[in-house]
Amino acid sequence: MSTTTGNGGTHQHHPASRWVGSPAGRALIALALVLLLGVVFNADGAFFRIGAHRDALRQASVFGILACGMTLVIITAGIDLSVGSVLALVAVCFSLMSIHWSWPAWLAIPACLAVGAACGAVSGGLTAWFRVQPFIATLAMMVFARGLAKTVSGGMKVSTAVQAADGTYDYVAVPGIFRAIDSRVLGGNLSVVTVVFAICAAASWMVLARHRWGRQVYAIGGNEEAARLSGVPVRAAKIAAYAASGLLAGVAGLCQAAQEQQGDPEAGVGYELTAIAIVVIGGTNLMGGRGGIGLTLIGTLTIGYLEKILSINAVPEANRLMLTGPIIIAAVLTQRRRG
Amino acid sequence: MSPSPTVPLLARMRGITKCFARVRVLDAVDFEVCGGEVHVLAGENGAGKSTLIRILSGVHTDHEGLVEIGGRPVRLRSPLHAAGLGVAVIHQELSLVPSMTVADNVFLGRPPVRAGFVRVAAQRAEAGRLLERFGIDVDPGRLVEGLPIAARQLVEIAKALARRANIIVMDEPTSALNAPEVEKLFALIADLKARGCGIVYITHKMEEIERIADRITVLRDGRRVGSAPAAELSPSELIRWMVGREMGQQFPRHAPRLGEERLRIRDFTVIPGHGGPCPAVRNVSLSVRAGEIVGLAGLHGAGTSELLLGLFGAHGRRASGEVHLDRAPFEIGSPRQAIARGMALLTSDRKTTGLVLSLPVTANLTLADLRGVSPWGWLRRRQERQAAGELAAALQLRAASLDMEAAELSGGNQQKVALGKWMRTRPRLLLLDEPTRGVDVGAKREIYQLLNEWTAGGIAIMLITSEMPELLALADRIVVLHRGRVTAELTRQQASADRVLAAAMGTVQDDLDP
Amino acid sequence: MRITRLLFCFVVFLVAGCEEADRPAETTAPAAERAAGDQPYVIGMSQCNLGEPWRVQMNADVKAAADGHDELEVVFKDAQNDTLKQRAHIEEFVAAEVDLIIVSPKEAQPLTEPVARAMDADIPVIVLDRRVLGDRFTCFIGADNRLIGREAGRWIARQLDGRGRVVELKGLMTSTPGQDRHSGFREGIAGTEIEVVFEADMKWLEPDARKEMESALARFDEIDLVYAHNDPGAHGAWLAAKAADREQDIRFVGIDALPHEGVMYVRQGILDATFEYPTGGREAIAVALRILCGEQVPREVTLGSRIFTEDNVEQGGQPLGPGE
Repeated sequence: MSTTTGNGGTHQHHPASRWVGSPAGRALIALALVLLLGVVFNADGAFFRIGAHRDALRQASVFGILACGMTLVIITAGIDLSVGSVLALVAVCFSLMSIHWSWPAWLAIPACLAVGAACGAVSGGLTAWFRVQPFIATLAMMVFARGLAKTVSGGMKVSTAVQAADGTYDYVAVPGIFRAIDSRVLGGNLSVVTVVFAICAAASWMVLARHRWGRQVYAIGGNEEAARLSGVPVRAAKIAAYAASGLLAGVAGLCQAAQEQQGDPEAGVGYELTAIAIVVIGGTNLMGGRGGIGLTLIGTLTIGYLEKILSINAVPEANRLMLTGPIIIAAVLTQRRRG
Repeated sequence: MSPSPTVPLLARMRGITKCFARVRVLDAVDFEVCGGEVHVLAGENGAGKSTLIRILSGVHTDHEGLVEIGGRPVRLRSPLHAAGLGVAVIHQELSLVPSMTVADNVFLGRPPVRAGFVRVAAQRAEAGRLLERFGIDVDPGRLVEGLPIAARQLVEIAKALARRANIIVMDEPTSALNAPEVEKLFALIADLKARGCGIVYITHKMEEIERIADRITVLRDGRRVGSAPAAELSPSELIRWMVGREMGQQFPRHAPRLGEERLRIRDFTVIPGHGGPCPAVRNVSLSVRAGEIVGLAGLHGAGTSELLLGLFGAHGRRASGEVHLDRAPFEIGSPRQAIARGMALLTSDRKTTGLVLSLPVTANLTLADLRGVSPWGWLRRRQERQAAGELAAALQLRAASLDMEAAELSGGNQQKVALGKWMRTRPRLLLLDEPTRGVDVGAKREIYQLLNEWTAGGIAIMLITSEMPELLALADRIVVLHRGRVTAELTRQQASADRVLAAAMGTVQDDLDP
Repeated sequence: MRITRLLFCFVVFLVAGCEEADRPAETTAPAAERAAGDQPYVIGMSQCNLGEPWRVQMNADVKAAADGHDELEVVFKDAQNDTLKQRAHIEEFVAAEVDLIIVSPKEAQPLTEPVARAMDADIPVIVLDRRVLGDRFTCFIGADNRLIGREAGRWIARQLDGRGRVVELKGLMTSTPGQDRHSGFREGIAGTEIEVVFEADMKWLEPDARKEMESALARFDEIDLVYAHNDPGAHGAWLAAKAADREQDIRFVGIDALPHEGVMYVRQGILDATFEYPTGGREAIAVALRILCGEQVPREVTLGSRIFTEDNVEQGGQPLGPGE
């Protein structure tokens, strides 16, 4: 957040109102409003239990990890529609490797991350080298990765029921790495996937705010031609952004597989839209060149808590959809820069 | 200078004054358009020609002065209004819709309809008839995007004629045409003249003025210098009108200490990207020595910017030719490679190609040399701030503005930031395209000072500027381009405003007065 | 722009062209009058989608049943949840003059006409799992979700002695199975003191079920049983309860009973019970054989369900009584 955005508006002088006008300020206000909703509609006190918060974070983590990658790509003025499918592909691969092939974790995890990164790099290559629009390139990857996930898994969930040669099923134990990822720390008050999300967010933030490549990403999104004429390696930087998104989609896939104890080729459908919604609500501009991981973090919490509040109040599905839509629009409208 | 009674007066503009912000772009200009004649509107870049035309065609509605069309005073409300009164403008940036057919474009906005539905066949036939009448050989059913520029220009003319315009303004119509196409255009113009249309023709090219002008009006710095029948105005007189006598206080340029040859190019050619038939830069050869400032002069479309962009690698493979840097051969590659070899390019438009407006000033200053502030990949904040602070001091930029987004700076300060970015890379060859555009007088002197310092330090500079005084003051040598070719190379002693302008308008060196 | 368009068309083409089809070498053969052992009978099977594992199982059941009979050859087509594609399948089968058609329609209305035309062409049609309208078909084979829901409700009521706090995790409530399993369940527990303290739509998805269950756990300290409309949902709920260390106190009931999913969960002690939602694949082949031999078959065959619990899972579950 700190590197990129100056004042939110041009005519505010009072420091407090200037902060409120900044993207971070607006995102935090949105989050505060959602938390307020939770306090008011607390479902017989359920909202105040620590379990509710731990679970809200757990549920939001997978989306948050996807949103980190999406933030990187959106800042380059691109978009990545394939993250849901890549998540499924990696979940399937991880399950295959860990459950069916009994690979150790130190082999399976890097392999799966490589699969995710490779998918992202292909999308990035199509965008940067062949000048295919990001929407189209990642749409194609979305379809392809989903198909690949279904092919690799044979159309069925890859679970602890392993089909033997004679058609009967053997039931193997859930691998230790799955259990480890789906467990809790800090006296049962924090899920490991939340920790994974925190690590992903921290790493993404570091790179975006403090690394040369991060600066290049902002420059490309802000003004690609000016960046190119200033010697920024535009193509390589873009491919890296999409590869990073794929890698993070892979991390999300690992978490998803562990939490379901299986690799579902149908997993992650529609997750890319939630990730985009998180990034937008956080305040990162879809046009590129502005925003950051901090904003995405706030957006993740906002959406995560919103879902939690709807869930503990057992709001019917139709109403949930009708509420979430306008909230996203409202968030985007408050983002318009004044002046 | 009233027209003879037999020639009808189609439009008259009197006392036109127009200000943008506090800048007076037109000052009490009079202008007349008569039927059956070609009236050339001439002047340097920024003289006010385009603004005058925009007022006539209804784009600028907020001006002082009187406009009469067809003998009646009018207050133009919009381009549509002007079009309805018979004014048609063929712009440089053509206003055709590429994804629609020729027929659609010719009748754009006013297609023949029946009950709301466009009568496609009737439209096509009508368009075909129109094109045929004027000898324009284009198939009305074709999509515009498939047509070459020359044909598009003719379609644009047909569009104007479909509106039954009798005042036709052409703004640099031949900039993208080759010789036979230019002939076709002139034939069409002769035809229009015969029908009684009044043509306003804006051009820089002396050869064209000599060929088709019936009357010439010259603007300079927003004022009308004079207007005369073409037969009575000699080329040198015309140039004198355009250039004027007053030269501002010259800025002292230090005597250059010339070093080794820094840059040599031979047969340098740049092919433009978007369908223009002729190369933007054609077989240009020149050299620049260390410590020297070579001014690159030329009017709009001469190819000066393209030369620098091509050299810098911005046009990729579209630039070709022999290039030697420091006597070593240089393959034109990407801007990244050019920077690595010690080149730097300040583009003419800082907002679209110079700065990343969404980044803070500090980030813009270090953008061309990110490795310098991030040796192991991670940005060194303190180092970056220090570097930015030093640059700001050298450029006399307020320190408080370092954290502001570049978009929030004034134009002059933005230009300083764009320059500062290149200072960091310690270039050996500095290419500057309009370095003082939008900069106030005080800042201009500061920049001139910097140029002196840099060249004293051994940097070679190629400079494009559309301000004649600046060019004459700074350049040790001037290379003049006209339509992509070198027409003259003048030393400081030989250079004068009229010589430069004459060369820029097409007169080749040998024909210049000594 | 060209290359973008080309790429896009290519992708669309690829997606549209992907079809799973086992094409036999010969497809045309005169219908009906053929002695067994001569040339095999060709059965065309159109499945509305293969995205759901349950439907993959249906196809597998059909294939397994047909493999046991040399005189049968089944051609499988996947409509990828596209009604128009499924219509095309029926028409293709008719044109190829297959001996019998089995179809599991995506929707009733649009497929009624093509099925009727197949009947006109003297090709018998077996409709599986989802209905078409009217009566222009040979036989409908399907299970009754409402009955299953009711039986589940009754079983649950018995297990809880008529009182308890239950969480209901519903499938997509805009689909008939979801609605039936819900209303049947409510009928089954009617008149008892069982209270549904929390209900949510988990859209048949395991992660969503887990999420909703976590909310239920946060809200209610006492939950006796979770009734989920499908086994993945029940499993997701179990995972949530396990994470909260409450899985021992709660019972879990699901529906579908796929061999390596629901039945496995019962074996592992995760689910207390699961109710089979039979695919009908085996029955379809059985009925098909009877039709091809010229027998009369009933218009409707309602499949029975089975309940799998810890006690009977090794014996392959216990059939439920005839529906009431």
